[in-house]
Amino acid sequence: MTILQRTSRPPAPQLHVSRRTFLKGSAATAVAIGVATLPSACAAVEKPAAGTSSGLLRKGKVIDCHAHLTHRSRATWEADDRKLIEAADKLGIDQLCCSILTPRRPATADGFRECNQWTADGMRRFPGRVLGYCYVNPGYGREALDEVRRYIGDRGFIGIKLYNEYICTEPVVFPIVELAIELGVPILQHASHSHYFVEDQPRMSDGGHLAELARRYPEAMLICAHISGGGDWEWTIKALRHAQNVLLDTSGSVIDEGTVELAAAVAGADRLLFGCDSSMTAGVGKIRGANLSAQDKEKILSGNMMRLLRRRKS
Amino acid sequence: MIIDVNAYLGHFAFRRLRYNTAASLLALMDSKRIDKAVVSSSGAITYRNAQAGNEEVTEEVRGHSDRLIPFAVINPFYAGWQDDLKICHEEFSMAGLRLYPKWHNYQLSSPCCRELVNAATERGMVISIPIRVEDNRQRSWLLNVPDVPLEEIVELVKTHPKARFILLNGIGYTRCPLGRKDNGLPSNYAIELSRLSAVLANELGQLITNLGAERVMFGTGMPFNYPDPALVKLEVLDASESDKEKIRSQNAMTWLRL
Repeated sequence: MTILQRTSRPPAPQLHVSRRTFLKGSAATAVAIGVATLPSACAAVEKPAAGTSSGLLRKGKVIDCHAHLTHRSRATWEADDRKLIEAADKLGIDQLCCSILTPRRPATADGFRECNQWTADGMRRFPGRVLGYCYVNPGYGREALDEVRRYIGDRGFIGIKLYNEYICTEPVVFPIVELAIELGVPILQHASHSHYFVEDQPRMSDGGHLAELARRYPEAMLICAHISGGGDWEWTIKALRHAQNVLLDTSGSVIDEGTVELAAAVAGADRLLFGCDSSMTAGVGKIRGANLSAQDKEKILSGNMMRLLRRRKS
Repeated sequence: MIIDVNAYLGHFAFRRLRYNTAASLLALMDSKRIDKAVVSSSGAITYRNAQAGNEEVTEEVRGHSDRLIPFAVINPFYAGWQDDLKICHEEFSMAGLRLYPKWHNYQLSSPCCRELVNAATERGMVISIPIRVEDNRQRSWLLNVPDVPLEEIVELVKTHPKARFILLNGIGYTRCPLGRKDNGLPSNYAIELSRLSAVLANELGQLITNLGAERVMFGTGMPFNYPDPALVKLEVLDASESDKEKIRSQNAMTWLRL
């Protein structure tokens, strides 16, 4: 078992010299390979990001709000983690907000503890590139709360990851939400809405549940995971229209044209977060392709996430 | 040059599509520097009489034949498909067709479908098969259309060695014979890249290694999809410029005799 080092904040990312510029944009590069650039996307991150006073959150940053390192039951975990960082290098993603999930759910307390230790180890192996979400099963009550305090309070994790052990409106989840409010960190909630019962995920949350939770806790910072991989994205976006403290993560493998634009029109670009959830070219491509202003893309790529991270209280 | 072998015109029953007219699709292609696109009717996916969609596409592409290459949608279980195929090929100048066995509720192995594949092959038409139209998790409450199992494609390409198939919107080829080296299958199919990974698992790179760059084609799925993810895949792909050029346009030009 690796001994964890105490770090209050991860250091600033070190840029890889070979990093490409898919989101930051280099017209010369794109012309050379014979494809169109989107000037708006290129310009977006060249401008100073509003309010980026923190050294950690420098201008032009691209933050993937939804990523995963590999569970170590998989023999190739170390190479897989390296591939994730290499992919981020190629695609111009500076930081990845990562969790590790147990292969089977519901997670046991030992299971999520192990995952969080490995995430912390990932933060050390890829300094400044990996930011950690603390994954817990709220059903473990005190143990889950202690885990959140340990990893967010002491070990520099940036938020909480909740999966499908409970629907997020179930009372067992409330203490976790209240602790997130106390610590000033976001909760990334796995979510999906399909027009059929998803048998293998009977306690799946959806945008409606997140809106209900947001009404109960208006001071909470909630993130609805993967609108582009969570069933009917039009339903999800509309369900979250009035839930001002829920942000929408654009990740997922679905690349339906118009998704990001609809989310921006209904929820506002201030509430969108760029993410991949391992669908890397899909995640990058849909933001690059979205017909939004440079300023809006800048918010989505990092500004909104940095705004969340600045609300941390500890 | 970039040729997109996976594009559409018209409406789709379950979601509004933008850029779905010839003029707007061409404007989108211009903004992405995509030179030509193979288009078929998205309406014909759910029309009972698919030929009505073929007629709509023919109207749309009129005057744009230098950039939009129309393909027919043919349902071999619908009355008069032989007449429709003849009209699409001879009057509408459609160089190929798209099959939707799951949406149109037939088996690729059925005698009617075999007859259609043979008839199209005799005409020198390319047959493309979208493995899916949209992600099944977001399906309407009205229907549940599965993806076309790749095992059924394996049987199809074996049964029709002289036919030429382009497989669209698929993934997982390397987990079945279609994407494996020395698979014993005829080299009568090409794989379009819109859903393939180009980093992490990098199925795109694996297919180039296993089958050769000659068997991979560029496609986006627009206007269902943003075209950019497919473009990004080509940009990050670790392949020679020569192989990339084959994928971008040369393979499609050869297959479509452009």
